[in-house]
Amino acid sequence: MTILQRKSRKRARHAKADEPVTETSVLSTEDTESRESGTAPDATKELPRVTESNGEFRPSAGGWIARLLTWAVLLWLLLAVPGNVLSPFDFGVSDINLAIAATIFAIIGLSLNVLIGYTGQLSLGHQAFVGIGAFASAYVVTDLGLSFWIAVPVAAGIGALQAALLGAVSLRVTGLYFALVTLAYGLFAEQSLFSFAEITGGDGGKPAERPAGFADDHLFYYLCFGFLVLVLWLDWRLTRSKAGRALQALRENPKVAASYGVDVKRYTLLAFVVSGTFAGIAGSLMAHHQQIIVPGIFSFQLALVFVVMTVVGGLRNRIGVVIGSAFFASLGEGGGAGDGGGFLERTIGLPAEFTGIVIGPILLLVVITLLPGGIGQLIAPVKNWMLGKRFDRHAGKLKEVEVSDVRA
Amino acid sequence: MLDEIGAALVVGVLTGSVYSMVALAIVLIYRASRVFNFAQTEFGTTGLFAAFVAVELWGWNYGLGILFGLAVGICMALATERLIIHPLRDSSRVTLLVGTAGVALAAIGIQFWLNNEQPIRQMPRLVEGTAAAPFGTPVTYQQVITFLVLIAVAVGLVFFFRSPTGLAVQAAQQESTASELVGISVRRVSMLTWGIAGLLGGLAGVLAGPNLTFSAGFLTFGAGAALLPGFMAAVLAGMRSMPGAVAGGLLVGFVEQLGALSIFDEVQGSRALLLFLFLLGVLLLRPQGVFVREKAAV
Repeated sequence: MTILQRKSRKRARHAKADEPVTETSVLSTEDTESRESGTAPDATKELPRVTESNGEFRPSAGGWIARLLTWAVLLWLLLAVPGNVLSPFDFGVSDINLAIAATIFAIIGLSLNVLIGYTGQLSLGHQAFVGIGAFASAYVVTDLGLSFWIAVPVAAGIGALQAALLGAVSLRVTGLYFALVTLAYGLFAEQSLFSFAEITGGDGGKPAERPAGFADDHLFYYLCFGFLVLVLWLDWRLTRSKAGRALQALRENPKVAASYGVDVKRYTLLAFVVSGTFAGIAGSLMAHHQQIIVPGIFSFQLALVFVVMTVVGGLRNRIGVVIGSAFFASLGEGGGAGDGGGFLERTIGLPAEFTGIVIGPILLLVVITLLPGGIGQLIAPVKNWMLGKRFDRHAGKLKEVEVSDVRA
Repeated sequence: MLDEIGAALVVGVLTGSVYSMVALAIVLIYRASRVFNFAQTEFGTTGLFAAFVAVELWGWNYGLGILFGLAVGICMALATERLIIHPLRDSSRVTLLVGTAGVALAAIGIQFWLNNEQPIRQMPRLVEGTAAAPFGTPVTYQQVITFLVLIAVAVGLVFFFRSPTGLAVQAAQQESTASELVGISVRRVSMLTWGIAGLLGGLAGVLAGPNLTFSAGFLTFGAGAALLPGFMAAVLAGMRSMPGAVAGGLLVGFVEQLGALSIFDEVQGSRALLLFLFLLGVLLLRPQGVFVREKAAV
């Protein structure tokens, strides 16, 4: 784009801002925007977009090739390298364990993102959801002798059920008090539920067989990756639905949303149930990943790590959350999964169980003070570029950071 | 049965005095900064570790070691206020909460790391021995001292909040803009409040630590977990009443100890179960708090 074009564009924007906000002018800008982005001009079904439309930018042929190459490298890293296919690296046992832990943590991060990011409610007891999913799955496979493919839906269902029960009782209180209730629930689950030796196998743990055909670590990674893609897709569909828009509205301002006919309680409960479902799936995968699941790992500290990785990843930013969660998992927080410890232990010799909990919180503090959008904000230019847009360094900047505030 | 309830009452009040200190600090900070301070108990654990290092490893006098521990607690609280709470003062409360949780996690991580050689430590007591054994439960001097310190702190806070400085603190907490206009530095008040909270946390740490062995995260989720009970006591106090926080801490201690009754022998983790149900009950029936007259602004 030439400088002249850019100038004229800027002038147009100025003119828009200077116009007195009459109803006709609002309507006309909406019309042009919807025409530009090529969506149906039905203004009632589309939330007004504040972001700048992309204009007529089309990447050149070289740009397309560069983007395609980047996509290919990304897919190669995610799919080929862990399987030691077409790859010069030797992806060993501890590496693949970290990769599996990363996908499982990514699912947990997405689960928390639904709750914290979409509704602004904070759960400090998510280790209980994951843990109950894990033990439910292990129980179905080991004690009932059923297949893994039944255990995962059962774990997801139990996750949804407990979220529905806990939410129905406790979502009368919101905000910080709700966080307290989930904290108490997590401690209760940790000390009370997880000590029933019949279900959890006591301190020795409960065996959880991997499904037939996926016993190998590398194949199990692809299974977990498939579930991650499924959860990403479900999450994407949720945000594109009527419920997703309702959630967005009630996060911005519950009172205004309620006055527009959004049933705040019902939609918050829905988000909580979805979050519990995802956590149940993640728990089930975690159980079958470790093959012997011990109750001791589901501690309050793990719940804090879950919250931290979600916020560091960037709330309401799926890719950011996935990257943040995977990063924390690779720091060695994979629930004791990595045999050889995190990558920092092998590179600079810091013991894994400490790097995660020392570096993680410091990263968190840096993120929330300096970079409110988290990793998602950091990678937004690259993401937009890969989706065929212009490389814009300022993409993804957040003006308003957060979440259910009582300021309104 | 009656003996058991009596024992629960005694032990509950004694462990509850630690909860009361934590709850007092949580209420103070909530009034000043509108944040649920998840790092509160870590001020205590960090202070306890500092006191332990001074007394056991550097061979300091016990009193000096305690003072050092308290100083570390206060410094940590002030640093949290300056580095985390102040820069984030305009963001939402959930962000602030995540920030304090990050401070707690970082402290726990560093404790784990530096204490890796011997994870479980034992701090000597101020006065060894058992003071009395009402209802057949031995009560150590340490526990009695903790209770007396709580009373002293409570009385001290009453007098502090009647003094000009204390009134300034209250004014700034209630209406910060107006108090700026009459010449109260809100910034200093905030620092002062966090300093008091750090002192209370440090006291809770150095007093509760010697009763048991301790490890990283002792007061947050370890053997002496006081974070959740402290929050529950603060909720009972409607997040604003300081006498309510003291009473709430003692009540929560008692309710928790009811889980030790023999009728709950079959139930695993009965104390956590009781606390969870108690919190749910309080929040559903009286979310504005029990030991408070006005409606809480949460």
